[in-house]
Amino acid sequence: MISTASSKAIREFIVTTYAPDVSVEELDPSYDLLDNGLVDSLGLLQLISWIGDRYDIDIDDVEIAPDDFRSVNAIGAFIEKSKNGGLVQ
Amino acid sequence: MPPRPTSDMADPHTLGGAVLAHAARRPTAPALLWRDATVTYAELAEAARTADLPDGGGDTGGVAVLRAEKSPRTIARILACLLAGRPALLLSTDLGEVTRELLTERVRTAPPPDGTALLLTTSGSTGVPKLVPLGGGAVDRFTEWAVTAFGIEPGTRVLNYAPLNFDLCLLDIWATLRAGGTAVLVDPDRAVTPRYLLDLLAATEPEVVQAVPMFFRLLAEAAPEGTEFESPRHVLLTGDHAPPRVRAALPRLFPKAAYHNVYGCTETNDSFLHTADATEVAGREVLPLGRPLPGVRTRIEDGELLVATPFQTSGYLHEDGPGERFADGWFRTGDLVSRGEDGALVLVGRTDFQVKVRGVRVNVEEVERVLLEHDGVAEAAVVALPDPEAGQRLHAVVHRHPGRLGGLELRKHCSERLTRAAVPSAFRITDEPLPLTSTGKVNRNRIKEDLRNPRKGNE
Repeated sequence: MISTASSKAIREFIVTTYAPDVSVEELDPSYDLLDNGLVDSLGLLQLISWIGDRYDIDIDDVEIAPDDFRSVNAIGAFIEKSKNGGLVQ
Repeated sequence: MPPRPTSDMADPHTLGGAVLAHAARRPTAPALLWRDATVTYAELAEAARTADLPDGGGDTGGVAVLRAEKSPRTIARILACLLAGRPALLLSTDLGEVTRELLTERVRTAPPPDGTALLLTTSGSTGVPKLVPLGGGAVDRFTEWAVTAFGIEPGTRVLNYAPLNFDLCLLDIWATLRAGGTAVLVDPDRAVTPRYLLDLLAATEPEVVQAVPMFFRLLAEAAPEGTEFESPRHVLLTGDHAPPRVRAALPRLFPKAAYHNVYGCTETNDSFLHTADATEVAGREVLPLGRPLPGVRTRIEDGELLVATPFQTSGYLHEDGPGERFADGWFRTGDLVSRGEDGALVLVGRTDFQVKVRGVRVNVEEVERVLLEHDGVAEAAVVALPDPEAGQRLHAVVHRHPGRLGGLELRKHCSERLTRAAVPSAFRITDEPLPLTSTGKVNRNRIKEDLRNPRKGNE
């Protein structure tokens, strides 16, 4: 499971970037970011690139499916997977 | 002295001539009911004969510029113009002096085409209204149609709610006078007083009632339990969408009427008519446009409705631009239509409210409607603002009912009901009422301005 701090950082990024009207606490980790239109196709590229930078994942090297970014929970799982089960800071 | 019309020189197939013919045949028949007075056909004809028309002279190309204050006197002056073959420019009493003078000046510099009977104005919410010349033939054809369609005969009482400068009067006043009926004029000073309207209906017993939805809403809200008016045979809803809540009250108020949804505009007059029974008018979510009137041609281009009617203007007077709403006899209504599941044509919005988001056509009114379906939403406005990446992005401003409604819930709500591009990318949720226009609609332009130039402390 991804750390609480990371989950908070992801939620903060999403809220600040895509939904400034929403507070971090409001964003449920299971909320569907894609189906609910919070993150559109342009937004998804931006989100993936941010995750790559922030968590030091070489995005070009890993297999990516949109489902990996469907929710904060899914993003957390993707980061874990990409870090080969290592600890995420 | 210009020649004054007499009954033996007027062609009874023209509107003016028909009115004079009624005056000759049935002089004491009532033509107008106004406040507590009855004006007979003989009195109306005499008032037209002695009407003081503004000189006009060479100055306004013979156009009589009339302030459209509702009264038998103004109607007599219009009749005098019709009989004398002088175009009458009817200016709303709401227009400021500057606009009135500007429009008068425009008539001076661009005289209306030959055969113009009336000059009406568009009700454009921005800028100076456009001048719409209507030919005598167009007026004759329209009034003839209306007389037949609603069975107006000598003695038929027809309620007139609209101000005199509205095209609606061609039906409820002028078709009535053409047929020898009686126009019941609603006093504009009391037009929003429900008690007055209820009393007037009860006292005058009109058989045909044409009005905008507001009239019916006032009645529906104020009528005591059990109120019913048995006289109307035809109830005409026009001017705007009549909301289901208002329509639901109609069968109770007018139990013996057929209900008509009338679609038209100043430029073309009425073009579609849908007739509904009690069940449909009260129960159907949206009333369809119905069928084109006889002689009306219609076309749909990119979702926009185009019409050509036997009643239409030849084009705006003194149009600055190319007059792009007219082409080859067709008029672009600016209304977007679509076919419902049953094939019926319904209005879905205005082209003015259509925007492109990431290449997808989105109607902001439709997005607003979806937002308003959410129980927590009191008011909603959706506007498109330029965006360097998406071209345009939709911003929603929502006034919520007391509660905790948030942007995530609304995004979910929209996503379940709209295509992706139509889901607003930015939401602002407030507990404050949204700014309104003078006509009581949410003021999108103000909201757009505010979003573009957020005031300090508002960010």
